[in-house]
Amino acid sequence: MLVSWEWLSDYVDIDVSHEDMATRWALTGLNHESTIIVDGVPVIDLEITSNRGDCLGHIGIAREASVLLQKELRIPAPQLKTSDEPTSKALAIENQFEEACPRYTGRVIRGVKVGPSPAWLQRRLMAIGVKPINNVVDATNYVMFECGQPLHAFDFANIRGGRIIVRPAKDKETFVAIDHRTYQLDSQMVVIADAERAVALGGVMGGVESEVSDRTVDVLLEAAEFMPLSIRRTARKLKLHSPSSYRYERRIDHANIDWASRRCCELILQTAGGQLLAGSVDTGERPTDPAPIVLRESKIASVLGIDVPWERSLEILVHLGCKVSGEPSEADARMIPPSYRMDLTREIDLIEEIARIHGYEQIPEDADVPLVSSAKRPKDIVMDTVRRVVCAAGFDETMTPSLIGKSQMSAISPWTAEEPMTTLIPLLEGANQLRRSLIPSLIAARLYNQSQTNRDSQLFETANVYLPRTSGLPGQQFNLGVIGLADIRRVAGTFEEILHRVCGPEFIQAKLTKTLVSWNYLAPLSGIAWQIGGETIAWIGQLNRGVVDSMKLDCAAAVGEMNLDMLLEHARLVPQLQPIVPFPTIERDLNLILGEATQWQSISSTIQKAAGPLCIHVLFREIYRDTKKDGDGKKRVLLSMHLRSPTETLTSEQADKVMQNALAACKSEFQATILQ
Amino acid sequence: MSLQNFVDSLDGLLNEAKQSLDSVASAEHLEELRVKFVGAKNGAIKTVQKLMGAIESEHRPAAGKRFNEVRDAIQSALESASERLGGGSQKVSNEQLVDPTLPGIRPVLGQLHPITQTIEHLKDIMGRLGFSITEGPEIEDTWHNFMALNIPEDHPARDPLDNFYLATASKQMHNPTDRDAMLLRSQTSTVQIRVMETQPLPLRIISLGRVYRPDAPDATHFPMFHQMEGLWVDKNVTMAQLKSVLRLFATSYLGSDVKVRFRPSFFPFTEPSVEVDYWWNNNWIEFGGAGMVDPNVFQALGIDSEKWSGFAFGLGVERLCMRRFGIVDIRDLYRSDVRFLRQFAS
Repeated sequence: MLVSWEWLSDYVDIDVSHEDMATRWALTGLNHESTIIVDGVPVIDLEITSNRGDCLGHIGIAREASVLLQKELRIPAPQLKTSDEPTSKALAIENQFEEACPRYTGRVIRGVKVGPSPAWLQRRLMAIGVKPINNVVDATNYVMFECGQPLHAFDFANIRGGRIIVRPAKDKETFVAIDHRTYQLDSQMVVIADAERAVALGGVMGGVESEVSDRTVDVLLEAAEFMPLSIRRTARKLKLHSPSSYRYERRIDHANIDWASRRCCELILQTAGGQLLAGSVDTGERPTDPAPIVLRESKIASVLGIDVPWERSLEILVHLGCKVSGEPSEADARMIPPSYRMDLTREIDLIEEIARIHGYEQIPEDADVPLVSSAKRPKDIVMDTVRRVVCAAGFDETMTPSLIGKSQMSAISPWTAEEPMTTLIPLLEGANQLRRSLIPSLIAARLYNQSQTNRDSQLFETANVYLPRTSGLPGQQFNLGVIGLADIRRVAGTFEEILHRVCGPEFIQAKLTKTLVSWNYLAPLSGIAWQIGGETIAWIGQLNRGVVDSMKLDCAAAVGEMNLDMLLEHARLVPQLQPIVPFPTIERDLNLILGEATQWQSISSTIQKAAGPLCIHVLFREIYRDTKKDGDGKKRVLLSMHLRSPTETLTSEQADKVMQNALAACKSEFQATILQ
Repeated sequence: MSLQNFVDSLDGLLNEAKQSLDSVASAEHLEELRVKFVGAKNGAIKTVQKLMGAIESEHRPAAGKRFNEVRDAIQSALESASERLGGGSQKVSNEQLVDPTLPGIRPVLGQLHPITQTIEHLKDIMGRLGFSITEGPEIEDTWHNFMALNIPEDHPARDPLDNFYLATASKQMHNPTDRDAMLLRSQTSTVQIRVMETQPLPLRIISLGRVYRPDAPDATHFPMFHQMEGLWVDKNVTMAQLKSVLRLFATSYLGSDVKVRFRPSFFPFTEPSVEVDYWWNNNWIEFGGAGMVDPNVFQALGIDSEKWSGFAFGLGVERLCMRRFGIVDIRDLYRSDVRFLRQFAS
């Protein structure tokens, strides 16, 4: 809202500088955006919150100043001389759409002489950025920027039949506004029509065919109330926003409609001459005072935490326009808010008024804040571990948008086979899919780094993925996602470290299983899922050559995700001491030659089973190949076994026995031979 | 030659060397032993080393490993004997010299995103002020995102163009007044409602997380960002306590004593509502919005606003993060550029 300092002086005598006043306004609710000087007059831009429609005119701003400076507010009283002809003889108004337009009033002025406005009026309008048109149109604008009530003047000669009909638009009805553009309407919009066609888009903009021009002799002046939702819808849908629609969207003062109409007539008569017909045509009812609000003295302190003297509180409210109903007592008062303050309906609203005028600087910032306990959540403890491990493994944390575009990457969806959910408007260009996996985003992140010649970026993210459900809110799963270089064992090891640290080695040994997965975006035989009770907690794999090539990734990528919600369910937050076995551990190596297809998981479990409880670990060392000696399709697996008894020092005979059993099992299970 | 034979001869050599070196009593004798075991030409070690060539290739790594161990053991036995005899030979091998000025081998570590670091910092401070951490879903229904927050159907904040409503296969969501409509939450205040619906009063909580609003990206706007929302509901909570908590928070976060300023504002879910500014480095800095929980919010949740009162505040995490780390373009936070991310290793 642009406010002319000079214009304000009509309503209040301000005895502080405009800079000081702007600060006072800012600290009491009218945020100061900027001040410019136009022809020597300060023009102050104030931000008006959506609940303060009363401040969308100079009088409202002046009222705030008058309360803050304890000065008198002067509101002009329109002086009108009317002819004998009653308005109702010349004009009929029929309201068929009261839900959107509860009140429509009209006045008629005959015999105006349309021409330029006087200089003082033009200057005031230009100062606040409004282009003068002619004396009639300028008067409507002037009064709108004076009191916040939009007005519209029609050339009465073009209102056919002398009839105004307020009605819903017909579907696909077209209308040419004064901006000379044609708009297509729908049945939720209000049109103001004459006996034959629409002449204005109610509350938004007038029509070109009935606008006031040099040829205009008789003027019909509209002053009405349109409902915020209807106007907002219309303005949005047509992308047609006007100072009128802006004000109607924030509600106008319905008790002020008649004042505004008379005030505007007064100005037109002053600047364009003519004869005002007697009375007005008014489809609405005169508003009545709202019910009083009971304000309790004790409530003020209990909300604000400070004592405001009771007389001061009442004085503030009265100055703001509230009336006291009956006699206030020591404990409470019945307050009737003014019609222009639609935002004041409850006791708490009155307390806010007292607080802002009394001044928030009166509220101390060293009040007591009692101690209460608060502790880290299990999730925070687990997340600390997850982040520590992933960072230690050399992955950089990134954050990427939750929505992605449809692409080959977006098909990567290990957690659900359902189609992704989408939003009606995209988050960023083309990105309207709620991601089902973090991997597409991480691949995009890798590609971005590649384009910046940042080689070998290894990234992780912890964020939600969104899984469609048939009822209720969609599933949200908090995931860890990583993208590494070619070696899947580095990703696997990072995940295994997290699982061990968070769930504890005993749980892992007892409950965690590993199973092969083959998805079409993973390279063959590269996918692994870890499961607990048949449910996948994490997976890894190497991106398929086809994906890598088509995305133009410059190297292979191992990727993986972990369901952190599930990890949390199985978290063991505080490790418990396991007794240390006081007997030494014997390490023995085994170097097996076996078929390529034999996988470590079956080797280790076979050995573990055959070796029995004395074998506490089976450790993978390395795989190498000597096809000259062993022939094609064979590999050598070097492993170590840790042998220990909880009750005695093992002898080497006992160890030999265990090793023999292990070896025998490998021979029979895998036709393995041993390298001597 | 088999590996076993080789290892046996190494072990024999080591035994012999140890025994004689342990009992050596003069420098001359020590020098003799040195020549005998590690002499450059015909020392025993050299002789054994030559045998390695005869070992099968697949055993060579194991053999080499053992050889190195034995050679080092003899070397250190020589050194300790020499030390025992006093003075010792200060001769440093001229074959391989350690260069202690080489750069250290630094572990390759990742680091946390600046937003994560900021969020952890905020949690830490608010935790010490007695606020527990809560979370809520990012996909919300209109009840939690709007209605329960006193944002009525005709409020512009509910406009389909100002929110990310979900399209579902069963129905295209065109009507934002639809109670079943779902959207990406536009504020973390939704979590307030969920917490008050389920947890007993009194409570002191913060919620942190992603929120979504359709803003065209520029240096200070991104359609996805993070908020921290605080809520304190108890008997007799006042605005003075709100101001005091925010001052304690700011002093902790900014590291020096700061002043707090309230400017009146308007939010549907608080009344009175204020904008919060901090006086810091000779400037008033906008920090976020706050206010006393609106009685309508309590009423919608069946909480007696005569008995309970509370305050809520919301701060933008990005703004705090950017100020702290000197980041000037919000879009950099979400580009994944490792040259950016790695600067926040700390």
